Amino acid sequence: MPRMDEMSDAQLVTSVARYSEVALAEAYRRHGGAVFGLAKRVLNNPTDAEDVTQEVFLRLWNQPDRFDPARGSLRSFLLAQAHGRAVDAVRSSSSRRAREARDALRTAESPYDMQREVWDLAVADQVASAMGELPEEERRAIELAYFDGHTYREVAELLDQPEGTVKSRIRNGMRRMRAVLADAGVRGVDA
Amino acid sequence: MSHDEASDLLGAYALDAVDGDEFTELEEHLETCPRCRAELDSLRDVAAAMGNSVEPLPEGLWSQIAVRLPGRQEDEEPHPMPRLTPEGGSPFRSPVSRTGPTRRRRSVSTIVGAIAVAAAAVAVVFGVGLVRADNKVSNLQSVQAAPAAAVTAALRAPGHRVITLDSSTHAEKVKMVVLPSGQGYMVSSTLPSLDKGRIYQLWAMEGNQPISLGLLGSSPNQAAFVMAGSTRPSHLSITAEPAGGSVFPTGQIIVTGTV
Repeated sequence: MPRMDEMSDAQLVTSVARYSEVALAEAYRRHGGAVFGLAKRVLNNPTDAEDVTQEVFLRLWNQPDRFDPARGSLRSFLLAQAHGRAVDAVRSSSSRRAREARDALRTAESPYDMQREVWDLAVADQVASAMGELPEEERRAIELAYFDGHTYREVAELLDQPEGTVKSRIRNGMRRMRAVLADAGVRGVDA
Repeated sequence: MSHDEASDLLGAYALDAVDGDEFTELEEHLETCPRCRAELDSLRDVAAAMGNSVEPLPEGLWSQIAVRLPGRQEDEEPHPMPRLTPEGGSPFRSPVSRTGPTRRRRSVSTIVGAIAVAAAAVAVVFGVGLVRADNKVSNLQSVQAAPAAAVTAALRAPGHRVITLDSSTHAEKVKMVVLPSGQGYMVSSTLPSLDKGRIYQLWAMEGNQPISLGLLGSSPNQAAFVMAGSTRPSHLSITAEPAGGSVFPTGQIIVTGTV
């Protein structure tokens, strides 16, 4: 049996499936900060972000088979879970938030703050420059959807653009990002 | 939903930005379309790369998770999160094979002792032959929070160097970027929050002489510092010190990195 801190993520999840609390603790140690960080970014509230973090790791405990190592890294999986839950929480008060977002749009557009999204400086740097290379309207649509938790239809309303246009911009922007990151040797989030 | 319609929606779906009937129909399509699933996986990776913002974990959050694990008895204490690993030994003595599906509880007592040692884990200890830093500026001020824009600019500036501070024995990591001018920024940190009354302190090491570059607070994230007192350090190191800082390091080096 390898030491827990030498196990791969996939091995850890296998141990979690065997009810190893120590393995769950190790998964939390490796990825908890990223899960909490993304939840906090979307929710803008550390207390709610703690709740999301708890839910994500309890779900990993209860349903470890939901993670398929063939489909991506554990970090990506957990971040997708965290994002989905954070967005659900945001949308439960969506009308208020939509209003706030419209107000925010009318005032200042804050520059994309990538530095808090660092898991590795090199990756973060690449992600930031990939975002920077996107056409403004694609970047804006992706940010409003991902970081502010809006559906693409809401984004369309916020930006006063046709829904189909926003859908395409998000898709094209994401594909562009994927290509730039792949060229830079970044593939997903391994950690 | 047709394959093309589904394909158009995958970018938004990877951002959790699809809802209602479209969401349901897209999920149905994904069940049957390996091409779309593969496309989605790669777009989810892009989303994760964008959303990957490691933050120091709030104290006590792991305990809240651990006590909610099913099968736990009321009086059972959660074991501490295995943050630090003592050198040469594994705190994980509890064999996983003993925790099969028929046995939902797991023995934690075997690891508690080792974890207590882990809390005092030593990466490197300063030698006794420290030289008093008479001719050096020892900075016991708190460092300033760094605006994100300044950090971004530093990362694009010519001649910038990225310094990773880490430990041979555990996973805590700190990234710094230092400019030729001596201006430096802490870009990211996974250091855990310290208890009240303790703070992190940043040191430049010249040989074995530590020069304080400033106090990082109890939960460091982004910060700016100046290598004023030490222009040519060989290492940057971080220790935990009593609030107010120390003239010389009194704690163990938690992370260190070669400049």
